[in-house]
Amino acid sequence: MIDNRPKLIPRRLVRAVAVTPALLVLAAVSPALAVPPEQWVEADPVSPLGYLLVLLLIPGALFVVISLLVSLGPSGKDGSGYQPGLAWRHEPEWFGGPRDGVEKAEQAQPRTLEGAEGGASGRW
Amino acid sequence: MVPVAAGDAFSADDRFEIDKAIRHAETLCRFEFSVYVGASDGETRPFAERLHASLVAPDRSVLVLVDPGARILEVVTGVAARRVLDDAEVALAALSMRTAFAAGDLVGGITGGVNQLAEHARRPALMHSSD
Repeated sequence: MIDNRPKLIPRRLVRAVAVTPALLVLAAVSPALAVPPEQWVEADPVSPLGYLLVLLLIPGALFVVISLLVSLGPSGKDGSGYQPGLAWRHEPEWFGGPRDGVEKAEQAQPRTLEGAEGGASGRW
Repeated sequence: MVPVAAGDAFSADDRFEIDKAIRHAETLCRFEFSVYVGASDGETRPFAERLHASLVAPDRSVLVLVDPGARILEVVTGVAARRVLDDAEVALAALSMRTAFAAGDLVGGITGGVNQLAEHARRPALMHSSD
């Protein structure tokens, strides 16, 4: 077993030395320093109602408004709202298609009529 | 906050997901991918082939057409793409896409399907094969 008693006293000494400046500074501060300077404008006294309004009612109202806006916003994940079997009344979209989109496809001739393209078809 | 305007099928997040899947697929296998979502004009398969033919490089392109209203899925692969991505593999990806669509997951089906197509197409063509 290790006896750590001899180390205890130097440790306490170091601790005391480290804390002393802080204690000295605190003791030197007199309450007079807390008095506001003469040239400061005297603040109007705040009524309990005003205190309630600023500290409780306004933050509360902000909280309610922000929560409402968040709950009214688009509901995150399922944006497309697609349900099988329902009609699809949206504009066509072409991801990775040519810039002029579907209009260009109208003019395009099916140049490879020999059926060299492959692929698959399916229904669900 | 801003409600999705009428006529827009996808939210910005959905679009981002689909674009990301396409970009990822293109870097994975060096083919061009495009996804068309909407009603087809006339018969679906010829329409899909017409869309495919109007792409910049049809031979190296894979077009996925999804018609959610008619519940039809078409995948068209160009001549060069088909050499690597054969029809059986496309049918497999189409099957998983249809499963997701039937469950109402349009975006997940598209992104998953495009990923799957790219994974299959990643296999390099064997230049030294005898056949």
